[in-house]
Amino acid sequence: MEKVLYKLKDGKWFWTICKYAILILLAYQLLYPVLYMISSSIKDPLDSYDPSVIWIPKHLSSVSFLDAFKSMKYMDALIGSLQIGLGCAVLDVVSCSLAGYGFARYRFPFKNAFFVCVILTLMVPTQTIILPYYLNMRFFDPAGILSLFGKITGKNMAINLVGNNLAFYIPSLLGAGIRSGLYIYIFKQFFEGMSSALEESAYVDGSGPLRTFLYIMLPNAKNAIVTVFLFSFVWHFNDYYLSKQLLGTSRRTLIVALSSLRVDLSALIGGQTTTDPIRIQTRIQAGCLLTILPMFLLYMVAQRKLADSIEHMGIK
Amino acid sequence: MRKKMPYHTKRKIYGFLFITPWLLGFLLFFAVPFIQSCLYGFQDLTTSVDGMVGEWVGLKNFSYALFRDTEFLVQCVGSLRDLVQVPLILVYSVCFALLLKKDYPGRTLMRAIAFLPVIIGSGVLMDIMKTDVFSSSVNGAETTYLFSSSGLTGFFQSMGLPVGMIGFINEVISKIFDLTWRSGVQILLFLAGLHNIPSYVYEAADIEGANALEQFFKITLPMLTPMILLNVVYSVIDIFADFGNAIIQMIYNTAFTNVRFGYSSALSILYFLMVAAVLIILYLVMKRFIVHPEE
Repeated sequence: MEKVLYKLKDGKWFWTICKYAILILLAYQLLYPVLYMISSSIKDPLDSYDPSVIWIPKHLSSVSFLDAFKSMKYMDALIGSLQIGLGCAVLDVVSCSLAGYGFARYRFPFKNAFFVCVILTLMVPTQTIILPYYLNMRFFDPAGILSLFGKITGKNMAINLVGNNLAFYIPSLLGAGIRSGLYIYIFKQFFEGMSSALEESAYVDGSGPLRTFLYIMLPNAKNAIVTVFLFSFVWHFNDYYLSKQLLGTSRRTLIVALSSLRVDLSALIGGQTTTDPIRIQTRIQAGCLLTILPMFLLYMVAQRKLADSIEHMGIK
Repeated sequence: MRKKMPYHTKRKIYGFLFITPWLLGFLLFFAVPFIQSCLYGFQDLTTSVDGMVGEWVGLKNFSYALFRDTEFLVQCVGSLRDLVQVPLILVYSVCFALLLKKDYPGRTLMRAIAFLPVIIGSGVLMDIMKTDVFSSSVNGAETTYLFSSSGLTGFFQSMGLPVGMIGFINEVISKIFDLTWRSGVQILLFLAGLHNIPSYVYEAADIEGANALEQFFKITLPMLTPMILLNVVYSVIDIFADFGNAIIQMIYNTAFTNVRFGYSSALSILYFLMVAAVLIILYLVMKRFIVHPEE
């Protein structure tokens, strides 16, 4: 506050006002969709036709929420999304922190070539490899080991991972989940920025590399861990393409459910409302709100940590 | 019996062990599918109980995509045109990051809002927002249009601005909308980059009498160049791999709706080559402008 007052005296008040005007405009247009979602999902369908109702509805109604809830099969979808999001986030933190530490602190043959490969995984769109990737999961058989057993027993031993959470967990555990390359990059940058004095003293005290990593480096890498956890959670939660493919037809995540909400709603409500775009629309907005809710809550908790870690990440 | 290994060999092995999980994942879930995808492009594939059965057809899929398919090349040009957004995204996110860097009352709240697109800007949500929230055409009424409903148009009208100008402002603002929802990660990365510029550089510039504009163009911008490159690459990939992208949908439909797996693979390889070419050209052009502060 003192700063502002100081600026006012200094004759910079004009710029301060300009700056806040810009900030308010930016904030408004970023919050607009969220406000719109809230406003249209809690209003009674009657209010949609009332031109005097703009933001604040005159009649509250939960019908949009209930319909969206029902037709998205919300609880099942939410559990599915959370399982994939949280599970992959934890596994990504484990695998990517290991790899990031290896790249940051050790020298070994082909290190640079390997790191180029990390970046390459980021550059190839998932869609390029989706088909073999899908088949890989449908007939999961790492390096032909299972089919080797299959030759002995005479059966097809390949496991079907489609529809199973493992189809997401295994890649994440091996640092090949959604945008894992970016997480490795973040961890590498972070560990490179840390002083090596701590490690050296740990080595002098007779601690091995893994022990040093677990007890010295990781506890000091909270910021990077929070960032990667949040990114991984959000991107797995928001993922549509892989989730739709790898979960098959039996299970859906929230995003997949949301994507087909328009179709599902018409089936649920019946013929009379399909001609009425506003009713469908308010329910879809309710669905959007329900979808972002879990991420929003997590974000509220982790926001400050994320902002701090961004400022001290030390990306070069 | 255990012979002591030299320290450096040991370090090498430990380093290797640390990246082993990633290396396995890279081979299993990236390298192998990628090579397979390339091979599929040269085949006609049919599904069976045991997996895929392929028949080699040479370059047929590729030549069909390039010379006979009426849609593919048109869509390619279309998604190249989307790249216009990249410079706009960059300018916007640099400006926003600059606004978030210095401390002032309300900054924490502003930062929280700025990262919102990272959290909720997924492809499906963007798609819904575009059709429902940001469009004026839904049911013809103005109730859903961006600013008519929110009172800003009324505000402009009461200020006495001409109708044409209000329309123009609305148009610009709704374009900005689309842009801002693509820029979450970029703002985040730029902010990290800004905080990485040591403050003594600015202090020295202050003493030398450089004004804010000079400081921006002679210090901030050059120091941000590595981050600009990263953001260009990120934005390009983000736009090319977007859920709403016509080619992405085409590749998807070819494989999973029309069940033409081989052709779909050929399309995706061609598409990847195009993306790679764009990235390489951009990299070569930008490489000359990158500043390496340590050297």
